[in-house]
Amino acid sequence: MAPRPLTDVRAARLGLAVAVVVVGAQAVVGAAWSLSHDDPTELELTTRCLEREKGLTLEETTDDPVAASAQGGTLRTIVEGNLVTLSVATSQAEAERLRAAYASSNPGVRLDVRGRYVALWLRDPSRSQRQATYDCAY
Amino acid sequence: MGVVLAANGALLLWNAWRYDWLRGYDAYANDEYASTVADDHRLPSADDSGVWHTPPLWFAVAGVLRRAALDHGWGPAQRPGQLLAAAAGFAVCVLVFLLARELWPERRGLHLLALIVAAASPALVRASAMYHPETLAVALAAGGMLVAVHALRTRWTVWSGLGAGVLLGLAGLTRAWALPVLAAVVAAACLDAWSRRRWLPVALLVASSLVLIGPWLANEQRAHGSALAFNRPAPSGSVLSRRPASFYVGPRSLRALEHPVTPLFRNELVPHLYADWWGDWALTWDSPPPPAPGQLLPPNVVSERGRQAVIGIVPSVLALAGIVALALLAVARRSAAIGLLPLSALAVAGAYALFAVLYPSTDGDTIKGTYLLMALPAASVGLAFVVDALRPHTRTATAVTAGVVALFVAAQLPFLIL
Repeated sequence: MAPRPLTDVRAARLGLAVAVVVVGAQAVVGAAWSLSHDDPTELELTTRCLEREKGLTLEETTDDPVAASAQGGTLRTIVEGNLVTLSVATSQAEAERLRAAYASSNPGVRLDVRGRYVALWLRDPSRSQRQATYDCAY
Repeated sequence: MGVVLAANGALLLWNAWRYDWLRGYDAYANDEYASTVADDHRLPSADDSGVWHTPPLWFAVAGVLRRAALDHGWGPAQRPGQLLAAAAGFAVCVLVFLLARELWPERRGLHLLALIVAAASPALVRASAMYHPETLAVALAAGGMLVAVHALRTRWTVWSGLGAGVLLGLAGLTRAWALPVLAAVVAAACLDAWSRRRWLPVALLVASSLVLIGPWLANEQRAHGSALAFNRPAPSGSVLSRRPASFYVGPRSLRALEHPVTPLFRNELVPHLYADWWGDWALTWDSPPPPAPGQLLPPNVVSERGRQAVIGIVPSVLALAGIVALALLAVARRSAAIGLLPLSALAVAGAYALFAVLYPSTDGDTIKGTYLLMALPAASVGLAFVVDALRPHTRTATAVTAGVVALFVAAQLPFLIL
């Protein structure tokens, strides 16, 4: 029996089958990765940076209901002798909510909001103290 | 067709007029190159411009336009260069239409669809607004392919050999990405010449392109030690060890549909390229410049690019299907004319993949959707072919197809119009 001639429709169907297999394979790779790996959160990246690159010791944030309400998480550390509580917001609106909550106690320059990161320092921070937290913001 | 072309021309003109020239790829280095060529009448050294490795044709034209703009007090002086890129982008769309018509003269729906797909390609629209040589190279190469396809369908003549050679030579003198297209055209022309026993047009094709590109390649070899020198040395060691497995596998592919912007899946070839083709991975289009670490992107920036990434799924599958289908058809029918398009796409993709492996970069700047624009004619015509072949040829099906295509374009307009 002679082979069927390759019509336009058959060529298009074969092409589509190949493309679906290729794209499907890529999707399977992506799905398998997503199921088996979690990308690190901003807080995890910041934690890693402060510990490994700045050599700081981190502790859990306690007695700070504002920080505890941050959806991106919170951490506390001491930078050059100054205690700082870092909270990570997940949206601009949340960052503004955290800022407003802290602002009611008139923290002045001790409150530093930069993008999604809200920092409350125990004392007025120096430039290098602030820079340490900026360097580890993701 | 007239309406589509008019809308396309207006879109590209509008964007080129409004786009801040400094936000385009290598914009400042491009301007230094153009000014060196136009003002000092010489090629730039590595100290003059970071893109010294790029062939000089576009820079020479943009440099002359820049000088004229400065002489007449028009500002910014780079805008004529952007308008040149827009005109070339428009020419690419016209040439895609003509390529489809050359291959299937009687299928008008296919011609129109190929034109629309090319015109609504985000990578082409973005490149057409930039102060950058990419679109001019693609237009010249597509012109060379059109001459070659016509010759392969009819008969190579002295004039078609010369014409294709000159256009592809000029394309190679604009961007090195035209060289794989030239190789594909020469291969197709050689196959044709073999069967017809007629080698003169192929010899003229090769000779005319070499006359144009040869001096540039010889200069690069002499001055920089390689005819295809790049602006950074390739790392030493095995080629296979230059990229991690994630570069080839693209494990974060699904994130490209959800959050397709820097720095996610940086240097993962497939998702990085996909996100940049359909959107704007590096945030150089209609968003504020990329924010500093810790700063938040405006929410609409990510969602708009995410929408683009989702819109791109079906067209991407159809374009890939089209390229495969054209390759199968070319083999089955022994048609070098049909085969030229998939062959050119394969050559461009292969050359690009090799380049991306040879020159890894930590910031991912060697992975850009616009680098693959040379494959746009094949992708657009291939997509149109598959849709035209598979759709039922009834009035209702035609209306539904037209509706889906209109939706595909309309959904992209907020991103495409600056």
